[in-house]
Amino acid sequence: MTVSQTITIGVLALQGGVVEHLNLLRRATAQVSPAIEFALTEVRTPDQLARCDALIIPGGESTTMAIVARRLGLLDPLREFVKVQRKPVWGTCAGLVMLAEQASAVKQGGQELVGGLDVRVLRNRFGTQLQSFVAPLELGFLSEEEKEEKGKPAAPFRAVFIRAPVVEEIMAEEEGAGGGKPPVEVLGVYRKGDAEAEGKGDIVAVRQGNVFGTSFHPELTGDVRIHVWWLRQVVDSARHGKSIVQGA
Amino acid sequence: MATNLHPDVNGNASDDFTVKAGLAQMLKGGVIMDVTTPQEARIAEEAGAVAVMALERIPSDIRKMGGVARMSNPEMIREIQAAVTIPVMAKARIGHITECQILEALNVDYIDESEVLTPADDQFHVQKTDFKIPFVCGCRNLGEALRRIKEGAAMIRTKGEAGTGDIVEAVKHIRTVNADIARAKAALAAGGDLAIAQLARQLEVDVALLKQTAELGRLPVVNFAAGGVATPADAALMMHLGCDGVFVGSGIFKDAESPEHALKRARAIVKAVANWTDKNALIEASIEHGVAMKGISNAGLKPEEKMAGRGW
Repeated sequence: MTVSQTITIGVLALQGGVVEHLNLLRRATAQVSPAIEFALTEVRTPDQLARCDALIIPGGESTTMAIVARRLGLLDPLREFVKVQRKPVWGTCAGLVMLAEQASAVKQGGQELVGGLDVRVLRNRFGTQLQSFVAPLELGFLSEEEKEEKGKPAAPFRAVFIRAPVVEEIMAEEEGAGGGKPPVEVLGVYRKGDAEAEGKGDIVAVRQGNVFGTSFHPELTGDVRIHVWWLRQVVDSARHGKSIVQGA
Repeated sequence: MATNLHPDVNGNASDDFTVKAGLAQMLKGGVIMDVTTPQEARIAEEAGAVAVMALERIPSDIRKMGGVARMSNPEMIREIQAAVTIPVMAKARIGHITECQILEALNVDYIDESEVLTPADDQFHVQKTDFKIPFVCGCRNLGEALRRIKEGAAMIRTKGEAGTGDIVEAVKHIRTVNADIARAKAALAAGGDLAIAQLARQLEVDVALLKQTAELGRLPVVNFAAGGVATPADAALMMHLGCDGVFVGSGIFKDAESPEHALKRARAIVKAVANWTDKNALIEASIEHGVAMKGISNAGLKPEEKMAGRGW
């Protein structure tokens, strides 16, 4: 497989924090590799999606996104992109909900999902807007990169949780879509304040093969590290012409 | 490096404001609909609304009823909160601190300090930085917008002329805001800080906020259209003029022939906002929308009948 000249990163632009992701992506691409050219694009149609090598589903209202995606004929192409072509996809907040195979606390009558992550998410885990918050989050996957480069662990990530969902359950293999899918990796856990001793905390970042999801909004900060980390995997994936390989 | 020293997209690194303004950022490209019952809230949610505004009467009926319009009954707000999973907003009267405290205690997601209700204070708006709950406020020009942001508003909307179904005032307000921002940019480019300070005195706004606006070339918070949006084309027009999303007050349920018709209208407006550059989508949305609310021409309103002038 040859390395493509340009890697096209799409941001699903049905609604929500689209510009915020594009702004951070623009900064992140400059840090990845001078040898690689990135094209950034908004995705509203199946044609635009087909041109993408990787996709971000931003924060917003997942019910709205699902309804608009259905009406634009995007749901099935999205499923194909995520689950059949297995191209790199990252969902933040509502994007995480969209990428889950199951969601609870959904509207009456349920809501449509793209799926890809064998998890069940709980919408609005912390409550309404008054329970939204910002918390420093230790993210091991950022530390590993930074340790290699600078010999010290990464600073905590300023995680912005807005009416945020969490992963409430990782589905057992036989329950999930199966078919030789890699396991779900937990990449981030939020523990409230001093309650560290009790309970396991909430799962707020997961990866399963090509699909990555975060409960929080890196796009609402100026911190480019997760975008850079994700883009590096996108580059690897494009180089190898396949879904993201399991990493530590 | 301490990551929380990075300015966020609002140029404001406080956690409190990031969370307040952040919810509005997540509503962008969406439609927020006025609803008066749990059934209407469900119609809005099914149609793809990003949030609902719970109020006892839609603005066109507030107009018709006359009298003093106040915060809605908390019981009715609770019923709507129980019916939907999307954010629920509610309106308080301008300057009515206690109504805001009640709405905050009700755990609504956003408060609209709104000129659609009868003002409670003829000199002051609510000091919104005192609250943990975020606020949206109306504006007719950049001066009003930045005064509200200085008071703590995390989201702005045009005032328009609510309940009329006439888009002319909302267009005037967004065009005025855009022209004022262009002036600020020009002032900064030509005369730097001194020119910005001079313009800030004229507009009666905070100097730092005006400078930030000039640098960004837009309001430093999300800015929605509101007041008089009646059709998919109206909604798309406001997006064309630079709004980040749209409030629809009376336009969904006023003169709707049936709940099904209201659902069609709501869907059509969601579609128009999500695809405002796509002419075919706008044709489809306009057909689906059907008959619009009859409306009242803004030109025929007496000055005392206008709501947009409320606010200081």
